Amino acid sequence: MRAVRRLCSAAALLFFAITACHRPDTSKKLIVVIVPSQDNPFFKAEADAAAARARALGYRVRVDAHDDDAYRQDNLIDAAIASDAAAIILDNAGADSSVAAVQRATEARIPCFLIDREINTTGIAKAQIIADNHQGSVIVAEDFVTALGPSGGNYVELLGRESDTNAQVRTSGFHSVLDRRPSVVRVAAQSANWSQSEAFEKTETILQAHRDINGILAGNDTMALGALAAVKSSGRGGILISGFDGSPDAVAAIRAGDLRATALQPAVLIARLAIDEADEFLRTGSTQKPERQIIPCELVTQKDADDFQDFEKIR
Amino acid sequence: MTITTAAVRPSSRFTSSAVRALLFVLKARALVVLVALLVLFSWLAPAFLTANNFQILTKHVAIAAILAIGMTFVVLTGGIDLSVGSVAGLAGMLVGYLLTRGISLGGSPHILPVTACVLIAIAVSLLVGLLNGWLVSKAGVAPFIATLGTLYVARGAALLISNGKTFPNLGGVAAGQKTGFPALGQTFFLGLSMPVWTMLVLFAFAVIIARKTPLGRHIYAVGGNERAARLAGIRVPLVKLFTYVAASLCAALVGLIIASQLEAAHPATGESFELNAIAAVVLGGTSLMGGRGSVTDSLLGACVIGVLSDGLVMLGVSQFWQMVIKGTVIILAVAIDQLQTRVQARFLPLLLSAGAGGAE
Repeated sequence: MRAVRRLCSAAALLFFAITACHRPDTSKKLIVVIVPSQDNPFFKAEADAAAARARALGYRVRVDAHDDDAYRQDNLIDAAIASDAAAIILDNAGADSSVAAVQRATEARIPCFLIDREINTTGIAKAQIIADNHQGSVIVAEDFVTALGPSGGNYVELLGRESDTNAQVRTSGFHSVLDRRPSVVRVAAQSANWSQSEAFEKTETILQAHRDINGILAGNDTMALGALAAVKSSGRGGILISGFDGSPDAVAAIRAGDLRATALQPAVLIARLAIDEADEFLRTGSTQKPERQIIPCELVTQKDADDFQDFEKIR
Repeated sequence: MTITTAAVRPSSRFTSSAVRALLFVLKARALVVLVALLVLFSWLAPAFLTANNFQILTKHVAIAAILAIGMTFVVLTGGIDLSVGSVAGLAGMLVGYLLTRGISLGGSPHILPVTACVLIAIAVSLLVGLLNGWLVSKAGVAPFIATLGTLYVARGAALLISNGKTFPNLGGVAAGQKTGFPALGQTFFLGLSMPVWTMLVLFAFAVIIARKTPLGRHIYAVGGNERAARLAGIRVPLVKLFTYVAASLCAALVGLIIASQLEAAHPATGESFELNAIAAVVLGGTSLMGGRGSVTDSLLGACVIGVLSDGLVMLGVSQFWQMVIKGTVIILAVAIDQLQTRVQARFLPLLLSAGAGGAE
């Protein structure tokens, strides 16, 4: 019984300690930043950049994560409305399933600024700032073809989650370049659902089935790193691997010469742009920009890998 | 636990009533925690105690509570239903399909009225409940395993309906499509949202079933001692079947409400809802061994979970700490449940000798 009592008081103390230090300063306006998750380096970089910029401009910031769950996102938008937020920066949970939530916030006179992912409706959000996934996949594919050389070769494609718009955009971007070269042949294509472990397993199997593979093209860096691990454990050399996103791990692998290239999505730049436009909108009533803004990706290869850090071009 | 004679001191009115007060607080712990949380959040989060937030908060609590009400019956029989989250997802996808694609009769698709779509979606979802009930009561599959299986089956079915895609625009903007579906989750009546009214109606039904009907007494009896219940002539399989179907009904309603709020049906909706529902039931004090607990307690448990998660979001507590706090609260609730049992057992003689009946 004593143990239970001690456990209770310790937990109560912990609870009060955590919540009490969160009493907000209400004199500042609140900006709510909602991202898919906070344990993924991409979304974390995005959220941190937005939060830092907003604080620098004198706002109070709250960062929430919806875990790609449209219902949770709905609740977080409700909470932002209830907290009387001045603006919402949202990396949404689905192009279709987020429309109603954005609409509700807008009706509650809270302007929404979408980053990284679009919604399938225009005229509700004040801005939709996204990375150019098509252009990014084209530059990765062009570099891939160059690296394969004039004789071409066989490659494997690892696709993202098939229901995800970005997976479709990226693969069509890859193919717009690769399909024009008859000497570059796709010998296998599998979805690895953006996941490192799934990419690892699928690549291991594919490597068993095909002896003559010159390259692997992955729809994101996580899958590229999974493929890299599989290639390394198979002991096969001379396989080029390229990814997409520009995650710090991938950039490090590119610097080390393990990965060939990636397209860096300017997440930090986009997050800052969104905050700047929110600030502009709150002060003047207009962002002075069109709603849809498409920001180009940057190609990262071994020679310029040092120019990039945490989803940002620093040089 | 052996009762030492030291515990039974010469009975005085004072100790007796002190023990009684302690027991009352322990029993009403969900209510105590709820009040404490409401006070804490009202003090810390400036916008927490507003009419606007009250509407939102009750709506969120209603979703958790609807699931918890259905889950309570299952848990009272000593079972568990892990499939409710998937059933919610399935119901949403079914209604999404019916509203956007319709049913093809003789080659051409017909969009049915919204009410029909909703009823069909509920009916199909109830099949999962029937399957659960049959597996548990007739096929003899352990509830955990049976419903774990249907968790995957129902989620897979939800994904198959659209091949993993989202059904958009359930509000009915497309030409020729029936409108009115968003009313299910978005309309307000007397200041409370539709989900809250749905929850209240379900709650009233559940309380009546639990307290006033033979079925309710049978549910408690099955959970208390299944063998004895069977010997007493209770049709145990039928009682169990009812509980799983009730849980599926609640889950289907949640799926429909969420699809209506989002005006879109996403196949991953409701992932891990079952855990929230179980947490609410356990927080309320219903025993996972069955036979002990009540629907009202589960409602309080759902309120605690809902208020806690909304309040922490409004305070801007990091998501990771939110998880730690939620887990701690659940563990504490069960630990206090144990404490209550022990206090009760220890002071029972005292309470009896004070001459005012048992502790219960």
